[in-house]
Amino acid sequence: MRSSVRWAIGVAAIGAASLLASHVAQAQQGCPAEAALFHPCAQARAKTFRPPRTRDGKPDLQGFWRGPAYGTENVEEHPMTDDDNGGKSLIVDPPDGRVPYQPWASAVQKENRSKYVEPNVPCFPSGVPRSMYVPTQIEILQTSSAVLILFERAHTYRIIPTDARPHAGPAVALWMGDSRGRWDGNTLVVDVTNHNAKTWFDQVGNFHSPAAHMIERFTLVDPDTIHYEVRIDDPRVYTRPWTMAFPLRRNKEPGFRLLEEACHEGERNTDPLIRAGQRIYPGVSEEPRKP
Amino acid sequence: MVNTAAWDIQDHSGQLFPGLPARFGVPAGPGVVEGNEIPYQPWAQARKQENYKNRLTADPEAQCYLPGVPRITYMPHPFQIFQFPDRVVILYEYLHTTREIFTDGSRHPTLPVEFWMGDSRGRWEDNTLVVDVTLFTGETWFDRVGNFHSDALHVVERYTRTSPDHLLYEVTIEDPKVFTRPWKMRMPVYRRQEPNSQLLEFECYAYAREETAGDAK
Repeated sequence: MRSSVRWAIGVAAIGAASLLASHVAQAQQGCPAEAALFHPCAQARAKTFRPPRTRDGKPDLQGFWRGPAYGTENVEEHPMTDDDNGGKSLIVDPPDGRVPYQPWASAVQKENRSKYVEPNVPCFPSGVPRSMYVPTQIEILQTSSAVLILFERAHTYRIIPTDARPHAGPAVALWMGDSRGRWDGNTLVVDVTNHNAKTWFDQVGNFHSPAAHMIERFTLVDPDTIHYEVRIDDPRVYTRPWTMAFPLRRNKEPGFRLLEEACHEGERNTDPLIRAGQRIYPGVSEEPRKP
Repeated sequence: MVNTAAWDIQDHSGQLFPGLPARFGVPAGPGVVEGNEIPYQPWAQARKQENYKNRLTADPEAQCYLPGVPRITYMPHPFQIFQFPDRVVILYEYLHTTREIFTDGSRHPTLPVEFWMGDSRGRWEDNTLVVDVTLFTGETWFDRVGNFHSDALHVVERYTRTSPDHLLYEVTIEDPKVFTRPWKMRMPVYRRQEPNSQLLEFECYAYAREETAGDAK
């Protein structure tokens, strides 16, 4: 009741036209990009934003999108260097913005960076969630029984069935994981398992095991922003589940389409790295480590 | 796809595949080429023979490259078709290959650009999806025995639903640099019946790299 009184006073004071203008400006401005600020702002907006709907009544996530490309350098906060644009951590939980590794796993992450070819260099699929923030164009398409995500990066895709079918059998390991979706109110919730875990989260060797269980949430919070969250649970590697959150921003360029990135067909960087002594990352075994 | 066109689009016997144990040999099969004849120009016939001799390494598939159209259709891996008002999207298990076939009346781009999978523009003719594909590289083959084309390749595909679980897939191949006339392939496509069927992955070049990776640590 009090808020509606304030609303009426507000309209009287500043006028309907300027109120509308300020709302439009706010929507255009959107929530701040930095994950720690974006996340609570987007959560608040999700409570009131009414997303456009597809013909079968589901929130319409379709279109072209881009994630925060600096995350592929390092999902944690990292400085600008000759190689990196730098950026704040994509991790919103734990609040310190760090991957909560077990001690052995923290050592493995450091070793990864020095010992192995970064798995994106040979054009391997970027996996989940890295595909969502690797520097590329993303296209989302929806049918009544699936959500498709197409990535220009190395022409990969995800098919996310939303028809309640069970996951693939546990022996099936996939670069892009096995995704199953469902709608929870205005949010697409995707359960991702069956990782082959030969992908990294980023260029500095942040990693998970094949047992990782990820839960993603896609929520439109304004016409041109998806609030993307992914909770990563992998008791073999981390001390606790952890969560990344960031905006996917709409690409509104007229006539835009995904082109073909024939990545492997022209790739010439891996062989010199192998000759210099680096190895292809074999992943970590599914067995728990002895302390 | 359950035919043997991936090995050889023409009539062929069962045989060894060079360099592989017998159990990985070539399955026999009737061809999918109309009249079983590919009308190569004389120089191109010689080039095909050369390709055949060197097929173990010269086939672009040996490098795990994108296989082009129509070869992707009859690779021994499944694909899935999704339809939207302005496009048909075909996703292939092999290499996560993606095709967007625009059915919105748009034309091929006029830019000097080429694609391993070509540029696809579709239209509906009664019950048939007709897809015009151009702007190819000259670097893909039609099969594992060296049948090939140039960058002047022009493909017209016709997808016709012939029963609830079958498509008829017809292809016209035109390439004035390589052939003396257009020629056609034709084959049925069968719907997967397994209740748990889904596209998985065949990341060919990743497997090739993994050979050097050793065991998981």
